[in-house]
Amino acid sequence: MSRILRIELRRSAAIGAVLILVLAGAVLLYAAPKRWAPGWMSLAMIQREYLVLLWPLALAAGAWQARREHRSNVAELFASTARPRAQRMVPALGAMGVAAACAYLAVAAVAAPWIIDTARYLPATAFVVVAVGALAMVAAAWLGLAVGRLLPSLITAPALAVAGIGLLMVIPAATRSREWLALVFSPMYGMGQYTDYQTVYGRVSAAQAVWLVALAAAAAVLLASGDWRTRVAALLPAVLGAGLAIMIIPRNDEFVSNPVDPVAQEQVCADGSPRVCVSRVHSGLLPEAAPLARQALEMLAKLPNPPTTVHEDTTTFYPDTSPPRQADVVLMSISVDKDGHLARKAEILPRMLFNAGADMSGCDDSWNLAVSRAAGYWLMGREPGPDYFQASPEENAEAAKLWQGLRSLPEQEAAARVGAVRRAALACEKLDGLLTASAR
Amino acid sequence: MRWLTLYLRSRRVPIALAAAAGCTAAMWSLWSVSSNAREVGVPMVILTVLLLVASVTATLAGPDEALDRTAALPWPPLRAAHLLAALAVVVVLLLATLITGARFGPAWLVIRDAVGLLGLTALGAVTIGASRSWFLPLGWTLASVVFTLSGTTTSAIITWQVQDPGNKPAAVTAALLGVGGLIAYAAAGPARRAPAEAAL
Repeated sequence: MSRILRIELRRSAAIGAVLILVLAGAVLLYAAPKRWAPGWMSLAMIQREYLVLLWPLALAAGAWQARREHRSNVAELFASTARPRAQRMVPALGAMGVAAACAYLAVAAVAAPWIIDTARYLPATAFVVVAVGALAMVAAAWLGLAVGRLLPSLITAPALAVAGIGLLMVIPAATRSREWLALVFSPMYGMGQYTDYQTVYGRVSAAQAVWLVALAAAAAVLLASGDWRTRVAALLPAVLGAGLAIMIIPRNDEFVSNPVDPVAQEQVCADGSPRVCVSRVHSGLLPEAAPLARQALEMLAKLPNPPTTVHEDTTTFYPDTSPPRQADVVLMSISVDKDGHLARKAEILPRMLFNAGADMSGCDDSWNLAVSRAAGYWLMGREPGPDYFQASPEENAEAAKLWQGLRSLPEQEAAARVGAVRRAALACEKLDGLLTASAR
Repeated sequence: MRWLTLYLRSRRVPIALAAAAGCTAAMWSLWSVSSNAREVGVPMVILTVLLLVASVTATLAGPDEALDRTAALPWPPLRAAHLLAALAVVVVLLLATLITGARFGPAWLVIRDAVGLLGLTALGAVTIGASRSWFLPLGWTLASVVFTLSGTTTSAIITWQVQDPGNKPAAVTAALLGVGGLIAYAAAGPARRAPAEAAL
């Protein structure tokens, strides 16, 4: 059997399909490496999102291969061999299945070297997500084979690809409020990354795998069928699989969109003191982040009761969560650039020191740009200038005036006032006037 | 007349025409059923153009190209006429919907995409054979529909199929592909393959 499979792999569309799929996948991934550079889980999920193109192409590849017998005018000849039809279809199924799965895995392998130095956190879930993606490709290739054999026309393959992409684009709109339903039937839905900590729940992957296995089985039955009775019977695995998958997937209240992996968010600390920690998913960036974080702590040491630890800011917006405000912790927000390294390094220090090292993202209206920036620039020991806030010249002049005021004070008094800004910011109180009035 | 009938039959034109009309009807019904808007969504229009172009690709080569070439006929003008007729079929089928309840427009976008995609298909027929010539138009168009770029000239060229009808770089790209495909196909004809494999 393995000899037949080898011959089939060589003589079918398998190799060409692998080349085209890998090329398409690699171009898509490398067109925007920033999307998946943060880590292995990001890569696994973003690659799944690119199934929007690879899945229809796999359908087309299967349909193209299925025309071979028709194209070579040997359908009658083969039908006369003393072998059941099902047995004759096994090599084609094997070859196209292997090709589709290998192409998917090869795309992941092409992307892996890009982040191998910086990505550390490799959860088992990432492998599951990739495996479900490969399964989706196999199901698509087999479905293509089955449809291509039923309708052996040159237009079947492109029409099937167009139908596939149309289906993937329509599913989210069609299921609307039942997001979980879209998650079952669309292998690429919900794979966009809102945060680097995002994950896919095991039950969701299990439901998707059940549906895709059922779809592949239905396609195999359809391909092997010789009459309309077995063709109708191919509906059975599809219906069963869909029902089972819907029973497995978390529905309604249980459903969480864009779930976050708490293990990825856990803080991992660098050796030495003061303590600098980043989330597990960013732990490869610790050597780059630690010097900046320690520099910030050194600048904050001028304050009364200075903070002693740096943690990564693990705020996420979907769902809306943020780490607790702690008096001895300064939060550092980390973003990853397209090479997998720390992005926007110049911004990190100002971001940490504005508000005198307190995160005010949860406080609604107590924030004051001028006070916040003046305190930060006083800590950094330089004049307020252009930074990521992109303050207007008037706003910058206001901050500069406050900063001048701080500079003209004795060192201890200025430190006390900036310390008051920090205390107020931690408590989410108003910052207005804290730098001009006496702090005590 | 007799020659034309034989030629059309050898190129499987009736089946291709039926497929093109069927695709148009299917997409037209899909839109009519699923939406109340008269103007069909642009992605759907582009995908329909793609389908129509794919359905006429089968006619770009006969069953035995080597045999065809032995005929004492002025092939270049015939091939050019064939390609232009295919373009006319695609465009007319879609523009005909403009007077119905589901309008596949704007017209200029349909014409641009039909010209560009048919040119690309003709280039494919010259290089890798008519039966494989839909590979690149399909992959490129699907990618453009999903990952639309806009803003710069380069992005307009890369995703020319989905740009606004008035976009110049996209129109120029489509025109270049169309003219290039027409010249290459008229001059060189479809790639020669073994008769068994060329059978469609």
